[in-house]
Amino acid sequence: MAICEPIIEVRNLKVNFYTYAGIVKAIDGVSFKICRGETYCLVGETGCGKSVTARALTKLIRPPGRIEGGEVIYYSDEGPINLLELNEEELRKIRGAEIAYVFQDPTSALDPLYTVGYQIAETMYEHGRVSKIKEGILRAVEVLRNVLMPDPEKRVHSYPHELSGGMRQRSVIGIGLSNKPKLLIADEPTTALDATVQAQLMDLLMDLKRRENLTILLITHNLGLVAEVCDRVAVMYAGNIVEEAPVEELFRNPLHPYTKALLRAVPNPRKKSVRLESIPGTVPNLINPPPGCRFHPRCPRVMDICRSKKPPELWRGDDHRVACWLYE
Amino acid sequence: MSEEVYEKKLLDKFSDAVIDAFASLADKIRPGWKKRNKSRIDEWKLMAYAFNRSPPGIIGAVLIVSFIVLAIVGPYLAPFSYDLQLTFFDPDAKRAPPGTVIEIKGKLAEVLGVKPGNYTLILGADDQGRDLLSRLLYGARTSLVIAILVMAVGPWIGIILGLIAGYYGGKIDELIMRITDVFLAFPGLILAIAFSAVLPPRISVFLDNHPDVRDFFLTLFALKPQHAGPLASLLAVVVALWIVWWPGYARLVRGMTLSERENIYVEAARALGVPTRWILLRHILPNILGPILVYLTLDFGGVILTEAGLSFLGLGAVPPIADWGRIIYDGSNYFPKDWWTILYPGLAIFLTVLGFNLVGDTLRDVLDPKTRRSIEFKVKKKREG
Repeated sequence: MAICEPIIEVRNLKVNFYTYAGIVKAIDGVSFKICRGETYCLVGETGCGKSVTARALTKLIRPPGRIEGGEVIYYSDEGPINLLELNEEELRKIRGAEIAYVFQDPTSALDPLYTVGYQIAETMYEHGRVSKIKEGILRAVEVLRNVLMPDPEKRVHSYPHELSGGMRQRSVIGIGLSNKPKLLIADEPTTALDATVQAQLMDLLMDLKRRENLTILLITHNLGLVAEVCDRVAVMYAGNIVEEAPVEELFRNPLHPYTKALLRAVPNPRKKSVRLESIPGTVPNLINPPPGCRFHPRCPRVMDICRSKKPPELWRGDDHRVACWLYE
Repeated sequence: MSEEVYEKKLLDKFSDAVIDAFASLADKIRPGWKKRNKSRIDEWKLMAYAFNRSPPGIIGAVLIVSFIVLAIVGPYLAPFSYDLQLTFFDPDAKRAPPGTVIEIKGKLAEVLGVKPGNYTLILGADDQGRDLLSRLLYGARTSLVIAILVMAVGPWIGIILGLIAGYYGGKIDELIMRITDVFLAFPGLILAIAFSAVLPPRISVFLDNHPDVRDFFLTLFALKPQHAGPLASLLAVVVALWIVWWPGYARLVRGMTLSERENIYVEAARALGVPTRWILLRHILPNILGPILVYLTLDFGGVILTEAGLSFLGLGAVPPIADWGRIIYDGSNYFPKDWWTILYPGLAIFLTVLGFNLVGDTLRDVLDPKTRRSIEFKVKKKREG
């Protein structure tokens, strides 16, 4: 394995949401590192904090949410910066230009009132890549061609409602890439699309990654997708990373009981099963998270210590990390 | 029935012609505009068709257009100046009922710049012997200018504050909305009365120091140079209405911004480093503009009504300035014998405000895609059938 040259490093990130019902500890001490040029995946059930983590990287958390602690070190060309210490204007220059996002639902990620070309031009204009919106719209043709949009000269003048779901997501990826970011954060980019279009778009993303020298942080709950495109995977549960490993290692040798359960829940087409496997119980209420390991109420191999003490991060091998008392 | 359809078709052609003319103009200024905005032009035409199907809307539009045209050309059409006391020429002109004929002659006419001859006072004259028709025409100008000045600033204070409050939320939201609540806790008219009573001396000083501004407003209101003093009290009404006119908009816009900012495209714009100012003005505002536009149109009539109300209470317009509310106030001493001094300005206010309300209501239907579609389907059916 090549030596990891980090592009972004998250240390002990904590995010709370202050709601009327109480304080939701959505992210509770998440740490990870993404290497330049890799595809890093965050997987987990709905509500486990994947999207919040991704948004917290560039401080996109809105009230009532607040980032309570930790560091996000971004290794820019000028050296490492802690993104959480920057002010809004400094962050604005990083967002889009260095770190770009692609969101889940392409239908609502585009403003219905403007043409696709305008929306691409807008981000280029705001980052000073073009001096006029008009010039940006001309450049947008190139951007759309880059994401394999059919007939880009015409599509530049299309409104979002005139495009299909796949074309919309291509435009959204195009907008994300228009400023040549180093890191692309794709938050469930294919969830809202059908299976064939999903495959096309993931091919496109991987192709772009090679051509543009991108690093991708992919957030998904689709384990099939993870197996196909990711280099390293982090499994999240209730605001914690419970296990992190290279993709093959994780699928071959899952350590954490949650990861095991998650992998079992994927239906295997070769085996005829009467019932789909599921993990008993639900994601805990994060206002009063279970003490100790947050997974213990659902864990088949729960021990006494799990109920009282938070498990430490244990390394199994060079690049396999797990937070579980079983391996102490 | 067939005649009615024919008439409506004519109106459609007219609105098409207007929109096409505008499109060609835009195309000349920026070549290629027409081609790029083809769908937008079609949308406008459909909106116009929907508007044309609404008789109240058309009546309202006719009322508004005639009000605006009269306000612009009225002062040039008026037979006399707004402050000319015809009693100089004919003592009968005092409180003359409609239809009175007076004769203007002599050296005085030359000095005052009035053409000699016989004039019929169509709408009568007031207690000072001033021609009511002339005063109503000048009054239209006063109303229009005040309404435009108020609407050009007042609501926008509220819209901008509402956008900021709704978008940022948290403490900023609390602060802005509590200030709004304080303003809403006072009845708007009372607050406006207070401000228009206090402000004139200050504005007067300002106008004395800035003769250019003063002359500009004198031309705008079609006033004679010697009436710079009363001008201050008119402007005081404008400022007073600015102060009381924004809270409603702040609330309305804040609510709409709250729901609009939850859209992913707002977050996407933020995540791509688009500045907040740009997000607010280019993404959120245009998406909530429909309801704001309806509210603005309805409020145009509201401003005219409130301004007339203030003048009726003796604030705002000071004699000899022609103002509809003021004319009613002056005439009320002689009511009901001099019914014309109340009836005609009252009708003028009534028809103008009615026009804005009718158009506002129709715009609400036309700008709401759901109701518009149903109207459009009816239009299509009629054409095919």
